[in-house]
Amino acid sequence: MGFWERIEQFDHRWIYLLVGLAVIIPFIFPASFPVSITPEAQSLYDTVEALPDSSVVMLVFDYYPSTMAETEPMAIAAARHFFSKDCRVITLSNIPLGGPSMAETVTRRIANEYGKKYGTDFVNLGYKYGYVSVLKGMGQSIEDIFPTDNSGTPLSQLPLMDSVKNYDDVKFIFEVADNATADYWISIVNAGYGVPMGVGMTAVMAPKFYSFFGSKQIVGLLGGMKGAAEYEILIGHKDAAFRGMDVQSLVHLLIIGFVVLGNIGFFVSRKHRRRIGK
Amino acid sequence: MSGIEIFQTWLVAFFTLALFSFLYKDNPVYKLAEHIFAGLTTGYQVGLIWDTVVLQKLWDPMIYDGKWWLFVPGILGIMMFSRFTSKYSWLSRIPLAFVMGTTGGIFLTTQLHGLVLPAMKSTMLPLGGGGGFAAALLAVVVVVGVISTLIYFYFSKEHTGALGVTAKIGIWFIMISFGAHFGYTVMGRVSLLIGRMQFLINDWIGSF
Amino acid sequence: MKTTAPVVIAFLGGFIMVVSFFFNEETTFVGGLSQELLNWMIIIGGFTLLLGVVSITRVNWAAVSNKKEGWIYKIFTLLSILVMSIPSVLPNSWSPLLGRDVGSIYDWLFNYLQAPMMATMFATLAFYIASAAYRAFRARNAEATLLLITATLVMLWRVPMGESFLNLFPGDIPYFLNTYIMNGANLAVQRGIIIGAALGAASMSLRIILGIERTYMGRG
Repeated sequence: MGFWERIEQFDHRWIYLLVGLAVIIPFIFPASFPVSITPEAQSLYDTVEALPDSSVVMLVFDYYPSTMAETEPMAIAAARHFFSKDCRVITLSNIPLGGPSMAETVTRRIANEYGKKYGTDFVNLGYKYGYVSVLKGMGQSIEDIFPTDNSGTPLSQLPLMDSVKNYDDVKFIFEVADNATADYWISIVNAGYGVPMGVGMTAVMAPKFYSFFGSKQIVGLLGGMKGAAEYEILIGHKDAAFRGMDVQSLVHLLIIGFVVLGNIGFFVSRKHRRRIGK
Repeated sequence: MSGIEIFQTWLVAFFTLALFSFLYKDNPVYKLAEHIFAGLTTGYQVGLIWDTVVLQKLWDPMIYDGKWWLFVPGILGIMMFSRFTSKYSWLSRIPLAFVMGTTGGIFLTTQLHGLVLPAMKSTMLPLGGGGGFAAALLAVVVVVGVISTLIYFYFSKEHTGALGVTAKIGIWFIMISFGAHFGYTVMGRVSLLIGRMQFLINDWIGSF
Repeated sequence: MKTTAPVVIAFLGGFIMVVSFFFNEETTFVGGLSQELLNWMIIIGGFTLLLGVVSITRVNWAAVSNKKEGWIYKIFTLLSILVMSIPSVLPNSWSPLLGRDVGSIYDWLFNYLQAPMMATMFATLAFYIASAAYRAFRARNAEATLLLITATLVMLWRVPMGESFLNLFPGDIPYFLNTYIMNGANLAVQRGIIIGAALGAASMSLRIILGIERTYMGRG
């Protein structure tokens, strides 16, 4: 067996080991290359920045714990941006696994940083089953769909909700998602009720949403950890996503190296096989 | 770090490493972690649905707000459990039909109004001009890409002649898009690993 | 009865939702009726999720009872279901450890076991995608080569070190990638797929409402 054939067939656990090392090394030797801002993230930031102070906004936690590493930094950055502008934030989730818990934990932590009070400055509606009916139903009455907040307090006892009946009273929706619920926010809520929307999507989902950005159905888009890092830079609070970009750089280069190496091996082996007539 | 915080960090680290151990090979510790994970995930739904649906949407409005008619969806919901009997399993079709029909009614309008029409509009309108050569070039690229992609996925007629050529252009566009998708997917998957490594290195090893 | 009743119910539910789209939701009777149906959907849907929980529990219970392969692990699955669910359905007025609030057993188990384990499960995909890139990502023909080149350029563009590298070349490659690849070719393909899928979803919805599509009822 020749060198390239051996290279082509070595144990995949060596690849795992190299990936593991590529993730660990930047933690020890950070490089801090500059992170550029894409027009999609800039547009999202500018739209939120232009909202009148004290606007009522929705921050939607439509992601599972599985993708927390790339979606939670977006949710945290968005919450920081909203609270820094004294926006009144309504959070909710359409995810039956973790969404309401993560909304509760993240929002309370960031609200504490800005001295915001639950019930007056922010409310967590929690979760209700069936995003299609939830999104459609809130168009008529939020209280009808969510009679209580996540902890069971009736909405009538929360001062923030006194001035909020339905989407007409919401000035902006920031959807952080790792799944197709974002499609329904666009097709049901944005198209049906005209509420401006921005989305933060996992990298896997992001390419699809360029289409909605092009059709102006969303005002901005954050794609994966890079998008989250961009938003952290824009709000002037570099955090987990920005720190993660060094690791991204090294692992991406490693994977490109794997692709190149794999292809060289493929072509050399193919040439060899043709030469010996196999 | 308090004692409970150290315990919590070590507990998370143990299960994180237990699940990562599968990368080397399948083993009993991985299996244990996997089964506990499955159980917790299942159990999470119980508390959530009990509180947010059964109590908040059904029991409380029926008992305290006088919405007695909600017993109908309550019974329809219970009928779902007839699937566990062979004799009465057909009863579960009724609530299922209700959900399917009602969702279909919402989809029929919102998919066309919220997705198809805006997509068609934003594909065609830029062809009207404005924005200079670069914008015009982009508009043409988008129109050709949309039409050729739609034709590639149109299987009711054999892809020959003009249809075949357009479908061929479609596959080139699709390859570019899927390539971009792959590039993004790599970033997504690496992000998830970074999240766990940030925990292991900063929180766990940092606690030593 | 077994087939007709579901078809009629699906038609009525769908018809009301379609009609309500064209009326003012807040002021008309049909708007109020559609809102009521949406609430019913939430309730019924909730029960379907519980159905899944019961089903998983039954399957695991049967495996333990019959001592099927791996039954010892399934005991832990059953115990985990109980430990997570029972305290969460009890009122937190009895104890702050009960219910779903911050500080409850449910919240603790989610934050320190379920969420990190789920995140770890998906984190392993990073290793698999690296392995797949090495073993399966081959420039076998022109189409695959195009895919490979685009993927490599996008991978470089999306990370700071790679973008700095691309900037070493003449011409604004990052601008080209964002404008003509992501907002050009990619946007066009995604839009084509969105149009196709949405038309498919709308026509399938119509088939369900009209009773032509009945496969959701299963057999029998």
